[in-house]
Amino acid sequence: MQGWIGKPVRTFYAGDSAQPFSLGGNMAKEDRPEGVNRREFLTTASAGVAAAALAKPAAAQDASARMAAATPPSAAMEAMENDPPEGYSAAEASEYFVKHPGSDFMVDVIKDLDFEYITTNPGSSFRGIHESIVNYGGNASPELLTCPHEEQAIAMAHGYTKAAGGKPLAVLCHGTVGLQHASMAMYNAWCDRAPMVVLGGNHYDATERRTGVEWSHSAQDAARVVRDYTKWDDTPMSLQHFSESMARAYKIAMTPPMGPTVVIIDGHLQEAEMHGTPPTIPGVAPTRPPQGDITALEEAARWLTEAESPVIVVDLMAHDQDGVDALIELAEALQAPVVNQSGRMNFPNNHYLSQGAGVVAQADVILGLELYDTWGTLNTLRDRVHRDHQRIARPDARVIDIGVKDLFTKSNYQSFQRYNRADLSIAGDAQATLPTLTEQVRRQMSSARQASNASREARWRSAHDQAKAASRDAARYAWDASPISTARLYAELWQLIKDRDWALVSDDSQQSRWARRLWTIDRHYQHIGRSGGAGLGYGAPSAVGAALAHRAEGRLPINVQRDGDLMYVPGVLWTAAHHEIPLLTVTHNNRGYHQEFMHLQRMAARRQRGIDGSSHVGNELNNPAPDFAKIASGMGVWSEGPITEPGDLRAALSRALDVVDQGEPAFVDCVCQPR
Amino acid sequence: MKTTKTLLSIFTALLLAQAGSAVAQDTADEGRELYMANQCWQCHGFEGQGGAAVRIAPTVYPFEAFAQFVRHSNLMPAYSPNVLSDEQLRQIFEYVRTMPEPPALEDIPELSDL
Repeated sequence: MQGWIGKPVRTFYAGDSAQPFSLGGNMAKEDRPEGVNRREFLTTASAGVAAAALAKPAAAQDASARMAAATPPSAAMEAMENDPPEGYSAAEASEYFVKHPGSDFMVDVIKDLDFEYITTNPGSSFRGIHESIVNYGGNASPELLTCPHEEQAIAMAHGYTKAAGGKPLAVLCHGTVGLQHASMAMYNAWCDRAPMVVLGGNHYDATERRTGVEWSHSAQDAARVVRDYTKWDDTPMSLQHFSESMARAYKIAMTPPMGPTVVIIDGHLQEAEMHGTPPTIPGVAPTRPPQGDITALEEAARWLTEAESPVIVVDLMAHDQDGVDALIELAEALQAPVVNQSGRMNFPNNHYLSQGAGVVAQADVILGLELYDTWGTLNTLRDRVHRDHQRIARPDARVIDIGVKDLFTKSNYQSFQRYNRADLSIAGDAQATLPTLTEQVRRQMSSARQASNASREARWRSAHDQAKAASRDAARYAWDASPISTARLYAELWQLIKDRDWALVSDDSQQSRWARRLWTIDRHYQHIGRSGGAGLGYGAPSAVGAALAHRAEGRLPINVQRDGDLMYVPGVLWTAAHHEIPLLTVTHNNRGYHQEFMHLQRMAARRQRGIDGSSHVGNELNNPAPDFAKIASGMGVWSEGPITEPGDLRAALSRALDVVDQGEPAFVDCVCQPR
Repeated sequence: MKTTKTLLSIFTALLLAQAGSAVAQDTADEGRELYMANQCWQCHGFEGQGGAAVRIAPTVYPFEAFAQFVRHSNLMPAYSPNVLSDEQLRQIFEYVRTMPEPPALEDIPELSDL
């Protein structure tokens, strides 16, 4: 099992891990900062060792071995730590100074869960844990990443987990206003089944709130604002409660269908001295994802092997490369075409069984794997006043639907899509289920059916070659155009990256899918999929989050950035510069919210009023055109552009790559055709 | 005499062709303005290469098929004659027809070696 970034021994998707991991009890030694800081030393090796051990047993126990070899503190140092500060009485000092704040223990818990980073926009409602992360935790594992907007902080976590094979980030959000800023990005993560643990600040005891802002930034039910699109939330009332709720939040977030969870951390709990029974850290043993029922899989295999034209359609399926490899095995066993809807990178686009969506119409049995929209896969709804629909699939086609969507959903937001009655619905994580299904297919396949595989293979190889040739031919059109064609943008990029270990950290759906049509994408990490909820403001920060994950692997991340999306949280460029996250960003700058141009045209045509050059109203990002290169430069990112002539593009991209190769972000503003 | 007649015919034909060409060019120019004003490029691209919608240039379709697609398609918003007259539609069609062929695949190494 290939692991996540930098930690090959552990998998975060538990579906095929041989050994469940448990982080409980003691903090992993490799996650502690090197050496022992003064505070650690004094709290464990001084006369106050007993109190310190009570206060933070995990850190203390772990550090004890290193304490033995350390130099004992001087009397002056001991006095500094344990006696009242100069000029203060013991009573005064007890009111002002805190030796073992609750948030130190919170950091122990967070470290135990092995979060490498916490994205955050600073806020006073979590100032206690902020200080603990910096001073007590040494700002390492987790390291705080400064984000100028909570929407960015969440979207970075979203991009990170998809690029890191499911390893989640934590996010710290300010009370009320911070979670409000974060909410749209959390909705995207919810729709996209992206795990993360979001910590929100709050002040519950009304009698202890500072006047003014602390009231404005507190809520009776702080997590309510995002509850409709999070899997679980809690409001711990003690440190032990916090410890257990964090473990639960992590576990729930990571169990398919994955998604965001929320833990609200009370300001007083963070800032007050720890007293009483020392809290403990329970740790997490991951939940093995559910696999489909064996009887149902036997039936599914029978349908598939008896079908004349089976087709596999896949969307939010592959958690990692193992999922890709498992799907290749099934597809080849059946010699069935695979339609990758690309919510994840599920299947290599250079495999001959990778086919276009048109094959769905030919199928007599359709196997859906983690489909976001099963009904929309089988039907099309015309965008007219009278919204009639047509079935794309054959009327007699049987549908097998395998996935986790029926295992957890909520009512209010309608991301669950239109109801579809599958002929065989199997609840289970598709990646975890595939090996059993493939085994059943092999077992049940008749020799006659097996014999037909050679001709099936020839047919699909031919179709694949034709589709590839058609894409190359289509890319010729507008090759020399200005604004630059999106096909040329991707073709030029490919020339520079094709021999490197690259990853596309953006979705090419709005650029006519040119990456998927022209590039060879055969590794799971090479395509990040969609945003989930299609909420703008996701693209730029998720790309930076993904680039952060790829940094550890030394990969070259490429972000083809839509201009409209960038206008939401351009501050993420500063985060990339500040934290030295290498990333090549190239804009697909079509000077507007292009989808909405087309919607306005459609309305004007439908009403027979005509658009007559006015579709820019409310849609354009022009007059003046934002100077994105200047914006990037102002954020501390190397930049160039706007590039409008195709002949100038290659050299600009090459210069930008030189910068990225030095470990920094670079930005090229490329003015493009609409799609 | 015969030679003179022949030369006169050729001269006349050239004049007519030139005039016809000029008319066609004028029509295409007007068509270009309409293509831009009616935002055809939003879906079909500035060069008609396609994008959110299908490629329409250089077109191989006859005008009737082109008009049918614009007026009655289930895919694109139907532009009725109240919005776009038959003459305007013809002008757009002529413009689309004048769009040049792109380079051959063999002349684009970035694509030919994919």
